Amino acid sequence: MTWPVILLACSVAVTSAQVRVFDLAGRAVDPLASAHSQPTVFIFTRTDCPISNRYAPEIERIHEEFRTSRIAFWLVFVDPNESPEAIRSHVSEYGYGMGVLRDLGHALVRLTGVRVTPEVAVFVPSASEPKMVYRGRIDDKYVDFGKERPQPTTHDLERVLKAIVEGKSSKAETTHAVGCFISDLETR
Amino acid sequence: MKAGSPDSKLRLVAWLFASGVLAFASDATNLSTPIPSLNARTVVGVRLAVSSFAGFNLQQGRASPTPTALINGGGVTFNKDIAPIIFKNCAPCHRPGEAGPFPLLNYGDVKKHAAQIAAVTHIRFMPPWLPEPGYGDFVGQRRLTDGEIQAIQRWVQQGAIEGDPKDKPRAPVFVEGWQLGKPDLVLKISRAYELPAHGDSGRDVFRNFVVPVPASSARNIKAIEFRPGNAQIFHHANILVDRTESSRRLDGQDGQPGFAGMDLEIQSDHFDPDSHFLFWKPGTAPSAESDGIPWRLERGTDLVLNLHMRPDGKPESIQPEVGLYFTDQRPTKFPMLLQLENDRALKIPPGDKYFVVTDDFKLPLDVELLAIYPHAHYVGKDIQGFATLPDGKRKSLIWIKDWNFDWQGVFRYQQPVSLPKGTTLHMRWTYDNSAGNVRNPNNPPKLVVAGNQATDEMSHLWVQVLPVNTSQLKVDPRMILQEAMMRHRAAQDPSDYMAHFNLGAAMQAMGKPEEAIEEYRRVLDLRPDDAIARNSLGAALQSMGRIDEAIPEYQRALKARPDYFDARYNLGSALLAGGKAEEAAAEFAEILTAKPDDSDAHANLARALAMQGKMVEAGAEFESALRVDPQNADAHYGLGRVFAAQGDLSRAVVEFEAALRIAPSSAGAHSDLGTVLAMQGNFERAVSEFEAALRIDPELKEARDNLERARAKLARQN
Repeated sequence: MTWPVILLACSVAVTSAQVRVFDLAGRAVDPLASAHSQPTVFIFTRTDCPISNRYAPEIERIHEEFRTSRIAFWLVFVDPNESPEAIRSHVSEYGYGMGVLRDLGHALVRLTGVRVTPEVAVFVPSASEPKMVYRGRIDDKYVDFGKERPQPTTHDLERVLKAIVEGKSSKAETTHAVGCFISDLETR
Repeated sequence: MKAGSPDSKLRLVAWLFASGVLAFASDATNLSTPIPSLNARTVVGVRLAVSSFAGFNLQQGRASPTPTALINGGGVTFNKDIAPIIFKNCAPCHRPGEAGPFPLLNYGDVKKHAAQIAAVTHIRFMPPWLPEPGYGDFVGQRRLTDGEIQAIQRWVQQGAIEGDPKDKPRAPVFVEGWQLGKPDLVLKISRAYELPAHGDSGRDVFRNFVVPVPASSARNIKAIEFRPGNAQIFHHANILVDRTESSRRLDGQDGQPGFAGMDLEIQSDHFDPDSHFLFWKPGTAPSAESDGIPWRLERGTDLVLNLHMRPDGKPESIQPEVGLYFTDQRPTKFPMLLQLENDRALKIPPGDKYFVVTDDFKLPLDVELLAIYPHAHYVGKDIQGFATLPDGKRKSLIWIKDWNFDWQGVFRYQQPVSLPKGTTLHMRWTYDNSAGNVRNPNNPPKLVVAGNQATDEMSHLWVQVLPVNTSQLKVDPRMILQEAMMRHRAAQDPSDYMAHFNLGAAMQAMGKPEEAIEEYRRVLDLRPDDAIARNSLGAALQSMGRIDEAIPEYQRALKARPDYFDARYNLGSALLAGGKAEEAAAEFAEILTAKPDDSDAHANLARALAMQGKMVEAGAEFESALRVDPQNADAHYGLGRVFAAQGDLSRAVVEFEAALRIAPSSAGAHSDLGTVLAMQGNFERAVSEFEAALRIDPELKEARDNLERARAKLARQN
């Protein structure tokens, strides 16, 4: 089973006032606050998804690569039943060095349209509201469950971020990500 | 896994019984004659590539009833329909401490992954099980029925409902820890290996760990259990037996325990226990070997854990354990591993979607097929093993339509498959080296050839067979299999030096040293500096008494590999057999500076000293040999002869008796015990010892002479 890469005709403009997620202290925050002024990456994940976890070093590699580029990275945990403590120790075990959000009501999931973990959404500032320029896989290593390339042939997230940094006009794009289904999780 | 290079442990104890005569008729027992060895170890150099196999045996032949909801068309619920499927097929791995990345032990667990489960079962990614149904009936088959898959689909479509609590089946109960109970011996690698969060370029990690078996006496092993520790990162483990310490040389060279490598070459010098697969994959329960088929673990051997690990995103400390379960039962049935392969045909052009490699082998005797282990890497696609029976009928042995290296395994037949003499075994492997094969390790595709890297390929089909109807055979049936297999290999490729080496070793083991010498010389024509073949050639020559020809071969082996202790040992033995005691002593002393725990080297040094008349030193060396290995029958025997020479007859008796307890069929020890008993005046027991010696070796002249003298004395006493 292979999945076509779908190019979106237009980008998604959003109203940040609609979306509320939570930080690890339980405070409601606007996840798109940073996206008004800088490119912002959301990486959707959960603690018990093996594909997500195997991506941790690659996610951190990309995070590190763009550290000086004023890009905001957020790790978004989508399972409301994972406690802040469990998330904290997971983040430290896997060596993540980025901000953490909890999408308890899947508001950000709905807004971005992500289906699985790991999946990413990239926003850039625009005249009115932040606009989403990419949603999908980190790279094409996983083609399907049990069908995996030894190495990715395209590094989609990295490519999109490079284009943003280089100021190239990027057309909005989505790709098919392989991972653990977010729809299996109950929301609060 | 690959047939090992010929690093056989060839050790020769070349003591001729006839030369070691104690004549009680004369007062001076002549101990300047060499002290014979009890168990002149035959020089056998059969390499088998080995992976022994603890077996797995779980959930045999469980029927999978169609869930009730599908029959009566009602709503599908977890409690009624889904829990039994999950508990049986998923929970064995999806529970804490096992290979599954998350638990599936109750409704909440399963609900959290419901759509995922529907998706992965639908494409049969889970539960992982490669063989196609109907092509071999295997133990531990973990494959959902179409009805079960449909039930999961419907359950998710209907909202993944929990259902009536009274329908709920009992939660599965699992044994924690060692599945077979407390092992008799637990081994683990000496220090933990630090697995990085991420493999090199994101690839899996293949690592081998050497686990020395403590030098206690040899054991019969009825079961082996592998406990990975963190099971989630392991794809499979092959446990190999290394009797030659060949893997130790590679260990730790990169600063971490173990050494890298996807497939392993292990050298081996005799058949036991190279007849068992010792294989672990997630979810396979260990089981004891079948009745009569324990395998023998010799003392001083190493177990080598060949592990396929997948980094899980965070650093992991790896220290797997191996549990050994002993039995007093000796092996009474001797299976053997046979390998079909055609690696030299592996020259797979880039872009080729259907590259076929075959091999076939005609069985020279009746066998029962017990288990099968197909092996290829990432370009492998379609794997077929089958047999053509003597009547021309085709019998499928295994078919894997979508080969996945990650889930490879040893598959054991529910019932042994009877394959009569004249059956041809076939393997037919198809490779997809196109860019369309997502597992292709090369992007863009390039020419793939045989090798043990992830970017190379292999075409191996291992089978475990048990020779049957063998009562009429005069030689070990496994030797017949080995000879036929190696002749097949050598015919396919005359430059296959391993085939010639193995053939030579089989010939030597079957008592055909001339033919063995011919085969070893073929190896050496191809590889003049092959130290192992040189050593084997020397041993074959020496076994024919051609000591003067053997010595230069050992010397050439040592020139090629100065640290080759077995060659040095054999050189020492040859020198000793040639009466060059001083030179022999120097060789054994050199071995002992490097390997002070080599009991046999102590014993042989002792013999060399005895030959020079240095009885006190000889006695001390025999005692050193026994400190290292109290079960060294040769050393007991030699020490007995030293005591006899020193006139300490009662201690001589004790030592001869000790030797005979370990090696009861030694004619020499019976004869010498008889001699010493006669010297003590115990003619009655002496007579029975001489008789025992002659039952074993009717040609033993001194026993015959002494028996007559003892009988005469006994007659005079009465």
